[in-house]
Amino acid sequence: MTKLTYFPGCSAHGTSEEFDSTLKLVMKSLDVEMEELPDWNCCGATSAHVMTENLALALPLRNLVLAEKLDNKTMGIACASCYSRMKSTKVEMDNHPELAKKINSTIVEEGEYKGDVDVKSMLQFFYEDIGTETIAGKVTYPLKGLKIACYYGCLLTRPKNITQFDSPEYPMSMDNIVEALGATATPFDFKTECCGASFSISDTEIVLSLSGTILEMAKESGAHLIAVACPLCQSNLDMRQPDIAKKRGKKFDLPVLYITQLMALAFGYPLKDLKPSKHIIPIEQALSHIGEEIATPEVKKKPKKAVEAESEVE
Amino acid sequence: MIALGQQIENKFLTAVNKKSGNNILDCYQCGKCVSTCPVSSFMDFPPREIMQMIKLGLKDETYMANSMWFCLTCAACSGRCPREIDIPRVMESIRHLAIEENVNPDDPHVKNIRKFHEIFLDMVRRYGRNYELRMMAEFNIRTRNLFKDMHLAPKALLKGKIPIGHEKVKSAKAIQRMFKLAEKLENTK
Repeated sequence: MTKLTYFPGCSAHGTSEEFDSTLKLVMKSLDVEMEELPDWNCCGATSAHVMTENLALALPLRNLVLAEKLDNKTMGIACASCYSRMKSTKVEMDNHPELAKKINSTIVEEGEYKGDVDVKSMLQFFYEDIGTETIAGKVTYPLKGLKIACYYGCLLTRPKNITQFDSPEYPMSMDNIVEALGATATPFDFKTECCGASFSISDTEIVLSLSGTILEMAKESGAHLIAVACPLCQSNLDMRQPDIAKKRGKKFDLPVLYITQLMALAFGYPLKDLKPSKHIIPIEQALSHIGEEIATPEVKKKPKKAVEAESEVE
Repeated sequence: MIALGQQIENKFLTAVNKKSGNNILDCYQCGKCVSTCPVSSFMDFPPREIMQMIKLGLKDETYMANSMWFCLTCAACSGRCPREIDIPRVMESIRHLAIEENVNPDDPHVKNIRKFHEIFLDMVRRYGRNYELRMMAEFNIRTRNLFKDMHLAPKALLKGKIPIGHEKVKSAKAIQRMFKLAEKLENTK
């Protein structure tokens, strides 16, 4: 049994509780034991690095130090923003020992940073540590007929030198997972465009504009729903969708599901375990496409091998 | 008066280069960052112009711009920059320099964005974790816009999308000490 330190982040215990609960179900099916990081703190998200230099490193560093006290080699992070902050801090600390010492001085009780725990997003963990073949092997309810636009957002694959995962321009890891579940991933050019992130509250118009374009493009790709792996992307595309629809004078009816919700469904968990009531855009209608025949296969996608070869070159 | 042939030190450029670990002079103004940036149309100077302003040493004009406050750190620009400049890092550096020198642009958008980040950090200082509902409420109160997003509230709250309760870390004192020590580091640079 694989063991993994689990960092949920504030959202997974708040607005994206269905991400947390389905993640736990999926990990159970995959035989992965998750140990939640004891007494973890907020990574500082966007706000810490917008306003300060040192606190932006100190907040994630405390979590990294706490993770080193456990026996697990890897810490899996649910939220894309937490992942980005934690991985950036790790890279910064590993490359600048002087800076690491300085920032470590703000963490008095927890101890010294050693740098021996790896940090991964859950998407990366599924793709690299579990693999699409194992995932496909756990499927008891194939999502055949379902067309899904996989939306990665900014932080899961960018910046390349920090994430060291998938392509920053046209990633395919989530698409490949979705296909392993039996569904069809649609060709979706806006998969790494920014949704507007925390401007959701401070400058909502920007989110309505950016997320609006993403929804338009996802709809155009022929998708029944959007798959995400980031709580903020989910809430911007789902909770703001009625406002966007009103502004643009058209209905999208595109539910936004976490990749873990789709995995849980394909692994045979009942629909109620996906917590459909948490969604502003109802998910049932889109999921009713499961079992339908897709007449014309949507192509024009990069084959998996080409993507791998490309990332090797980079 | 400027004597011909005399070099004038561009202190602003030096400061930004040092803080960001980049060389802004590498920028050859191709504008790829502008076409890539999802929010460049909201900025009063898009990234390419900010680069040129730093090169020209236009410190005050740069500090008063709203550009670095709109930067989402999505890193689309830096991934495509042919000169491999870490543009989000540069944006961050001029923002931090402006904060250090206590320059506050008059732009109402910037004021709201700053207020949001201050409230967010306040939640983390108090609880060690973010408290989403309270953060949204405080933002509405402090920006005097009480009814912002209220049309979402019934749906979001009833569906349990935004939980009413919240969590905090056990070692709240350790977090508060970290905030103090980090602030001290910030001031002793």
